[in-house]
Amino acid sequence: MTLNNAEKIIEERETHNNGKAPLKDQRKNKNNTSSSKKPKLPFKERVKRQWDRNAIVYIFLIPALIHFIIFQVFPFAFSFVLTFLDWKVIGDPEFVGLKHWIAFLNDGLAWRAIWNTVLFSIYYIVPTMALGLILALIINSGVKASGVFKGIFFLPVVTSFVIIAGIWGWLFRGTESGMVNYLLSFFGIDTQLFLADSDQALLVLAGLSIFKVAGSTMIYYFAGLQSVDKQLYEAARIDGASPLRIFWTITFPLLKPIHFYVAIITTIGSFQIFDSTFLLTGGGPNYSTTTIVFYLYQQGFAGLNLSYAAVLSYVLFFIILVVSLIQRKYLGQETNYY
Amino acid sequence: MKKFSILVLIIILGTVLAACNSDEDATATDGEISGEITVWVHPFTGDAEAEGAMWDEIVASYEEKYDATVTIETIPWGNRDQKILTALAANNGPDVFYAIPDQMPQYADEGMLVELDPYLEDNKMDGFVDTALVSTKWQDKTYGLPILQEAYTLFYNVDVIEAIGKDPENLPSTWSEFEEWAKAAKEQGFYAYSYQGGGSMNGTLYPFLWQAGGKVITQDDEIMINNAAGVEAFEFINKMYEKEWIPEDSITAMNHDAIWNAGEMLAVQGSGISLTNLQESDLNFVIAPPLKNKEQVTYGTTGMFVVPTNSDNPNAAVEFVKTVTNAENQRKFNTVTQYIPTRESAKDIFDDQKYLSQLAQYTQYALPGVIHPKGRNIMPMIQAEVQTMMEGKKTPQEAADAAAEAIEAEIAK
Repeated sequence: MTLNNAEKIIEERETHNNGKAPLKDQRKNKNNTSSSKKPKLPFKERVKRQWDRNAIVYIFLIPALIHFIIFQVFPFAFSFVLTFLDWKVIGDPEFVGLKHWIAFLNDGLAWRAIWNTVLFSIYYIVPTMALGLILALIINSGVKASGVFKGIFFLPVVTSFVIIAGIWGWLFRGTESGMVNYLLSFFGIDTQLFLADSDQALLVLAGLSIFKVAGSTMIYYFAGLQSVDKQLYEAARIDGASPLRIFWTITFPLLKPIHFYVAIITTIGSFQIFDSTFLLTGGGPNYSTTTIVFYLYQQGFAGLNLSYAAVLSYVLFFIILVVSLIQRKYLGQETNYY
Repeated sequence: MKKFSILVLIIILGTVLAACNSDEDATATDGEISGEITVWVHPFTGDAEAEGAMWDEIVASYEEKYDATVTIETIPWGNRDQKILTALAANNGPDVFYAIPDQMPQYADEGMLVELDPYLEDNKMDGFVDTALVSTKWQDKTYGLPILQEAYTLFYNVDVIEAIGKDPENLPSTWSEFEEWAKAAKEQGFYAYSYQGGGSMNGTLYPFLWQAGGKVITQDDEIMINNAAGVEAFEFINKMYEKEWIPEDSITAMNHDAIWNAGEMLAVQGSGISLTNLQESDLNFVIAPPLKNKEQVTYGTTGMFVVPTNSDNPNAAVEFVKTVTNAENQRKFNTVTQYIPTRESAKDIFDDQKYLSQLAQYTQYALPGVIHPKGRNIMPMIQAEVQTMMEGKKTPQEAADAAAEAIEAEIAK
């Protein structure tokens, strides 16, 4: 029994790990296939055995589960119910069926907000990953005082977003005296409007997010780089591979689990973008920076249209779910290169 | 082992259930003023100590008269709407809270606020400044009593006035006079005015709209934004932008502090809050009365106290609202917070303060924004159309029409 327990615990841990990071282990797969071949016992018997084996695990899980149910499952389920109601904060809610879902399908602004969010993701995800990787390569290359560089690159991550956004807005002021405009004037480029131009505003906001987040993707990549087996580099160098070749055939593919993790995290982050719009543009000019979460906030907390906001939050949920599944399918496979 | 685990399980479950089962005793009172009330206020200044002492005095003046106890809770401004809404939804909210003009009709229209009219017969209502009561009424019913007002008006930089060869003793009072000054400022390389297109419309389009004699929407849902007066306001803003009287980034700018502080701007909108900052800086400024085109109006918020319908003790709550807004308590409140009292008689606190007494005169012109339950919903729509116009993609007439159309669609929802 004790042996069984230990194995079970290890397995649980692995499953847990897999949920968070895709560091998959072959053994788990083997385990899965062997267990599924066992003859099926009656339900009661199975529950009993499971209990005998893992009672203590379940007992320790209970407090966490209660918390999870109250603060995660219940709001999640209740907000779904909310989408079918006209929910007034005080008093009895009124059942309206699919009214809010139909309103969403006909709401041009909501689709515009989704499109803006997609555009934002395009501007944001790959550059953030690329910049994070480049920064990680710099600090991993063994330059002098790499700790100092690490600190500098990580600084935007630990600084309050409001402050970073304030500085960014100041740099990208759309007047002649704005810092970036002043620098551009040396190259003979006219004063740009930046946040006041509906073609540029979203790009400037994406730049802000890249600046803010690249430091944390750097840390993930740095951890990934540390875990790459040094022998592989040695062998490649002996074979006379150029540094570029080494990067593209060893480092880059071996970082695949990190790519996956970072891609998911930045994607989710990009679909939830809100603060920079809220702080710098107020959704304008002409809705060009109105993202889905900003629109949701406006509907829910400025317009008191909480049921419609719940619909929007479910739409957002499905988008993130689908994107994550696609990424999992194409990026999240096993990494067996040697 | 097994027995032990079951025991642990029972203990855990027992604790959790016991924690969930704390019973609440609800006290319902009718007629009599007694019991307890909770009042939510916000930090109106940076000085928590002075505010605390002020609330103690105000509460003491209430508890002297009535047999009820008051708990003042200071709630930070951030996300105040969410906090109030969630607390009210959980039936756990305050008995009195502070509300602002665009919030009141929204809540009142949802039936969340107690109508105060039946309680107000003995309350000297004619002592209030007329404009302060505008924001407390929704469809002819009163839902709140005002404690403070603000009036936004134009602050001019005296050095810039002198640089463009004008007279600081003789400030523009009409649109055409202002245009003339703006032109002169532009010629000398100054910006004339700060238009903060990313901020609230209360500081951008609305005052011009009202000055032109227009209105966004009436309480009976009549949309007026694209009538002749409305279009005139759109045109005026477009003109200011095209002629570069306002900075290039005005379309979404949230502030122009840097430009104003550097002394490169002729005028900004300001109120009592800007006064504090200006007096600390060494900028040389003068305050002008609100501009006039057809009418002399400006924007100025009103702060009021309201009672939610799910208050356990509405009688005591309403009496508190009446007490806190009487002349004596308004003097205390506004002396500490430096806002302008809504009762004419309480304005004497600023008698020996040059600028504040000047601003206090202007609250009679100060409208509190669009008083409509959809006021907050339609603001971003109007804003988007004004932005499109400033980008040169729509004419003022087209933008005003599009705004009217968007408002109509929102009202029909």
